Amino acid sequence: MESIKIKKITSVWIITVLVLFVASIVLGILMRLNQGGALNQAPINFYSNMTIHGLTMIGIWFVAGMAGINFLMERYVKTSYKANLTAFILTVIGVVMLWVITLVGKFHVAWTFLYPMPFKIMWAKWATPAFLVAMSILSIGWLIWSISMMTQILKKYSIAQAFAWQHFTKDPSVKTPPFILISMITLVGVITCLFVAVVLMALYFAEFLSKGSFVNDALLMKNLTYFFGHTIANEMLYLGLAVLYELFAEVGGKAKWQTSWYVALAWNFTLIFILTAFFHHLYMDFVQPEGFQIIGQLASYMASLPAAAVTVFSVWVAVYRTKIKWSLTNLLFFIGVAGWVIGGFGAVIDATISNNVVLHNTLWVPAHFHSYNVMGNVLFSLAFFYWFSIQFTEKVVNERLSKLVLSLLIIGGAGFLLAFYLGGADSIPRRYSNYPAEFTSAKPLALVGAAFATVYLIPILILFVTITKRCIKVLFSSR
Amino acid sequence: MYKSFVFFALIVLLTHSSSAQSFSDAMKEEINIYQKIYDAPLQVAGKPPASFKEFYSQQPFVLALVFTRCVGICSPFLVNLKETIQLQPFEKDFKIIVVSFDPWDTADEMELLARNLGLKSDPKWIFAVTDSIDQMNRSLGFDPVWDSVRMQFDHDALLVGINGDGYITKKLIGLRERNELNQLVASIHNVFSPTYRLPNPNILFSCFNYDPISGKNKPGLGLAFLALPAVMAVGVLLIVSMSVRKRKIL
Ligand code: HEM
Repeated sequence: MESIKIKKITSVWIITVLVLFVASIVLGILMRLNQGGALNQAPINFYSNMTIHGLTMIGIWFVAGMAGINFLMERYVKTSYKANLTAFILTVIGVVMLWVITLVGKFHVAWTFLYPMPFKIMWAKWATPAFLVAMSILSIGWLIWSISMMTQILKKYSIAQAFAWQHFTKDPSVKTPPFILISMITLVGVITCLFVAVVLMALYFAEFLSKGSFVNDALLMKNLTYFFGHTIANEMLYLGLAVLYELFAEVGGKAKWQTSWYVALAWNFTLIFILTAFFHHLYMDFVQPEGFQIIGQLASYMASLPAAAVTVFSVWVAVYRTKIKWSLTNLLFFIGVAGWVIGGFGAVIDATISNNVVLHNTLWVPAHFHSYNVMGNVLFSLAFFYWFSIQFTEKVVNERLSKLVLSLLIIGGAGFLLAFYLGGADSIPRRYSNYPAEFTSAKPLALVGAAFATVYLIPILILFVTITKRCIKVLFSSR
Repeated sequence: MYKSFVFFALIVLLTHSSSAQSFSDAMKEEINIYQKIYDAPLQVAGKPPASFKEFYSQQPFVLALVFTRCVGICSPFLVNLKETIQLQPFEKDFKIIVVSFDPWDTADEMELLARNLGLKSDPKWIFAVTDSIDQMNRSLGFDPVWDSVRMQFDHDALLVGINGDGYITKKLIGLRERNELNQLVASIHNVFSPTYRLPNPNILFSCFNYDPISGKNKPGLGLAFLALPAVMAVGVLLIVSMSVRKRKIL
C-alpha cells in the first residue's frame, strides 16, 4: 500500500527523532542533577542546555507526529514525498543550527525566546541572527509540509467533509474517518501557528535590521510568541491522537472507529478554542485587557475537555469488558491517554485564573506539560514507531522485554513527574539553575526527579535500539 | 527659521543628554535589587546597639544614605523627603533609617543632624552610624568616592526600600516625586506597582495605545497582527480548496 519512498523517509524521521530524544533526555537529567546540587554547571551552561532541550523536544515530537500522520495518510490519499523530504532537509538544517547556536554560541533565552531577550546579547553576537534564521527555516519547512498534506486531503474531501460537518445531520452520505478529521483539524491549527511564527520572525528581523528605528511592542511579541509556542505544543499532541484513532482499534483486532456527531463536535471545538487558549500565558500581564484573560480561561477548558472526553470514552468503550489483543503498541497508546489526561487535568488547574496566581511559573508548569509529553504524546509516537518498525521486518516480539519496557516507563515517568508536581505545589519556581536555601524541598526533589528520569531513560534506550535496528533494515531494503 | 532650528537642535541635545543621564541612573537603580541588605550593626545615640535585621523584622524601612559634613545634595535630599512625607502621610507604616557612610561621623553628630532637621523626636525617623560601611555599601550597590580636594564624597542621593525580610525591593536616586515614593513604599510592603512603557514613535504596531487625555488604552494596529495568521490560514484553506476542487469549496 505505502510506497517504498514513504517507508524510507518515515524510517529516517524515526531514527532522527530517537537520536535527538536520547540526547535531550540526557540534557534534562543533567539539568535536574544541577538543580539538585549534584553538579555545578555555570548558569550560562544550564540555560543553554535548557534552551536546546526545550526547543529540541518540541521540534522532534512535532515532526514525529507529522511523520506519523503522513505515513498513515497514504491509506486515504496520496501524499507528497517531495514536501516530506523538503521538510526533513530543512528540519535537519534548522536543528543543527540550533544546537550550534545554543551549545557553541551559548544562546540561552529558553525555548520561548521571549522578546526582547534575544536582543539583549549575552552570548556570541552571531547567535541572535542565526537563531532567527534557524527558526525561519524550520517554520518554512513545516509550513510547506502541512499545507501539502492539507492540500491532499482537500483533493478528496470538501472542507465540510474534512471537518466532518455532515455528521451533524441525521444520515451523513459521506463518512469522514476520524483520522482524516483530526489530521485536518490539526493541520489547520499547525498552519495557523506557523503563520504566527512567520509574522513573529518578520517582526524580529525588522527590529534587528532597522538598528533602532523600528521597535516592537513587547505585549504584541509576547502574545505572538505564545500564540505560536502554546499552539504548536498542543497541536503536536493532536497529531499523536490522530495516529491513536487510526491504530488503536486496528492493533487490538477490533473494528475501526467511526466518526459520530459528538466526535466531530468535540474536534471542531478544539480547532477553534485551541487558537485562543494561549491567552492563559498572559494572566500576569496587567496590560492585557481582562476580557482576553477570561477568553484564555474559557478557551483552555473548551479546547481540552471535549476532545479528552470523547477520546477517553472511545478508548474505554474499546477496552472495557471486551476481548482485545494487547500489544506493546496499544499498551503505549493506553498509558499515553492516561498521561495525557493527568497532564491535561494539571493544565486546566493552572489555566484557572484563581489558581494561576499561586502556580504561575512554578514547577507545576513543567509538571503538567511534561506529563502530557513524557507520559502522553511521546508514548503515542513511540507506539507508532514500534508499530511501524514491525510492519516491514520480522514480527517476533519479546513479551518479557515489552513488560520490562512498560514497567520502567511507568515507574520512571511517574517518579520524574511527581517530583515536579510536589515542587510546584510547594511554590518552587521553574527555570532556576540553582535553588536558594529558602526552598528547602527543591534540591532533594530535583535529585529524586533525576533518579527517576534515569529509570525512564532505560526503556527509551531499549526501544531506541530495537526500533532503530528495524528502521535501518527498512532503509536498506529494496521492497 | 534659523532661530527655530537652533531651538530644535538645543532641545534634541538636551533631551539626549538628559535621557542618557536618566538611563544610567535607571540602570544603577537596578543593581542588587532583590538581594539581601548586609546586616550591619547600627548605633543610634542614646540607644543600645542594634542591626538592620532588628529593624526590618519589626517593620519594613526606607534607608537614606548621607554624611553630616556634606555640603551638597544631602540636606535638600533629606528636607525633600521629610516634607513629602509630612505633607501627605502614607497609608502604610514604615520607618526611615538615615545612615552615614562617612567613617568620621559619630552617633552624636547624626543626632545633631536629626535635631537640625526637626526630626529628633519623630519616632518614624532613626539616625545611625555603622562600623561596617563597606559591607553595607557593597550589599546596596552604593559606591561613594572620596574627593580629597573638595574634602567631600562624590555620591548619589540614594533611597533604598527594604522589606520585612531584609530584601532590597526598590532604589531611587536623586530628589524624586511623590508618586515614585509611593512605589517605593508599596514595594517594601510587597505590593506590586504596574509600570507602563512610555510612548515611543518607533513602535508602530502596539496592541494598545495609551491616551494621556482620557487615561485609557485604545486598541492599536498590533491587535490586527494577532488576527492576521488565522485570517491567512483560512485564506489558504479556501484558496487550496477552490483550486483543487474546481471551485466547489463546501
Ligand atoms: C525524561 C525526560 C525529560 C527530562 C529529564 C526533562 C527535564 C527537564 C528539566 C529539568 C527542565 C527544566 C525545568 C525547570 O523549569 O526548572 C525541562 C524543561 C523543559 N522540557 Fe523537559 N525533560 C524531559 C522530557 C521532555 C519532553 C518529552 C518534552 C517535550 C516533548 C520536554 C520539553 C521541555 C520544555 C519545552 C521545557 C521548557 C524549557 C524552557 O523553559 O525553555 N521535556 N525539562
